[in-house]
Amino acid sequence: MATRGTAQRPNGSTQGKICQFKLVLLGESAVGKSSLVLRFVKGQFHEYQESTIGAAFLTQTVCLDDTTVKFEIWDTAGQERYHSLAPMYYRGAQAAIVVYDITNQDTFSRAQTWVKELQRQASPSIVIALAGNKADLANKRVVEYDEAQTYADENGLLFMETSAKTAMNVNDIFLAIAKKLPKNEQSGSASTSGQGRRLVESDGQKAATGNCCK
Amino acid sequence: MSEYLKVLAKMAKKWTKIIGEGKSLRSITIKKYVRKGIPGEHRGLVWLAVSGGEDMKNASPDLYQKLLLSPHNVETAEIIKTDLPRTFPDNIFFNNTENQQHQLYNVLLAFAHQNKTVGYCQGLNYIAGLLLLVTKSEETAFWLLKVLIDKILPDYYTCTMDGLLTDIDVLAELVRIKMPDVYQHVTNVGLPWPVITTKWFVCLFAEVLPIETTLRIWDCLFYEGTKIIFRVALTLIKRNKSNLLACQDFTTLAECFKEITKDSIVLRCHEFMQSIFKVPGSLPGNTIAKLRTKHMQQRIKRKQDKLER
Repeated sequence: MATRGTAQRPNGSTQGKICQFKLVLLGESAVGKSSLVLRFVKGQFHEYQESTIGAAFLTQTVCLDDTTVKFEIWDTAGQERYHSLAPMYYRGAQAAIVVYDITNQDTFSRAQTWVKELQRQASPSIVIALAGNKADLANKRVVEYDEAQTYADENGLLFMETSAKTAMNVNDIFLAIAKKLPKNEQSGSASTSGQGRRLVESDGQKAATGNCCK
Repeated sequence: MSEYLKVLAKMAKKWTKIIGEGKSLRSITIKKYVRKGIPGEHRGLVWLAVSGGEDMKNASPDLYQKLLLSPHNVETAEIIKTDLPRTFPDNIFFNNTENQQHQLYNVLLAFAHQNKTVGYCQGLNYIAGLLLLVTKSEETAFWLLKVLIDKILPDYYTCTMDGLLTDIDVLAELVRIKMPDVYQHVTNVGLPWPVITTKWFVCLFAEVLPIETTLRIWDCLFYEGTKIIFRVALTLIKRNKSNLLACQDFTTLAECFKEITKDSIVLRCHEFMQSIFKVPGSLPGNTIAKLRTKHMQQRIKRKQDKLER
């Protein structure tokens, strides 16, 4: 579960608790999993992101009210044959982002398969978000927004269309997950005070780590 | 660096002489030279000769051309195309040069076409890409890829990746035998070995270690086979043992395993390559063979148990 501690700000004032969460990204090859992580962690985008082999590991911190949420992010390989390795990455994960490409119907079906697998095999309390990536390619869209939203509602998933390229909704989806994650043993009760309020500016360009975490 | 240039110059002279004499390239002397590094201009030719790739090629000299002309599986072609611009995107040989990407496409497609058990597996793009960079020849790159996958490596790239997962288990056991404290520490922290080492095995250290170090490893890999991979992995772990043991949690340990593939130990490739034959200690081929059999059997048994449940 989340690990907690009390952080000191450089000026000595108490910042509140720190929660650490394991988050895994799953989805078909080339839908933009690594690009979403790169945008969220480094604020960068590469038109041609190297294909991920095995998995990549990164961390990023966001601030939510008086809580510092540290994400341990596991970015996985998309090709089907790496599937047998996936349980190693989602085992013990508190959150997952299942990514598809809005210009490719097959990737949406594949995303649904991932959601089913997570619901069956991952931790029962896992927070799952569905990301319809490449939203900037609206003229090539084949997966309708409403179709994905309905599917997400039926399965209790967070849902956003994202663009790692323009940064649209990238920080927001991670923040939405951070909000939904329980911050203490009374699953989520302490975090309800912060519901609907956002303390970190995510204008889409800035990395999600605001000054409050430094 | 200047030290290494001297080593390169000395080796280049020796290799020019050996190749000029047209001697057999499989001898004790040559093995010693291979371990000291094959000069860039001779690499493709020497790799092909010492690995048995040349014999394969001579047995069916027109195979590559035939494969290019035959009809292709559309799905495989599409998957390969997706990965082309994502292979060494920062390398001047590959970025913005449609022609080079097309060569990579040809090599991967021809390979997938003649080895249907493997087809195309992500990771092969980096291997074929590096082979193209070294050989500057599509056909030589194809034969080297074929000899690596059909002859040198176990089933790393098949749909179940059983050979890969077995070799990762074998490495874990070798760590347990040779460095029990590191093994215990990694187990206690809860970091699974496949998380650390999948890319090491799949890419044969391409895109993991610095390029010159990777090429020096491949010199030995083509000549001596897969035990070189274990030697490199064990050396990496052993030479960084104190750093690894100092990492108290999952995150720092995972980061540390990334760091050790980039530090000065691996950048100094000549010294690193000398150390892989000393640091891990004895590593007989039959030990690896026995461990492979043992772990493969355990893997099959676990699969059967899972099916029965």
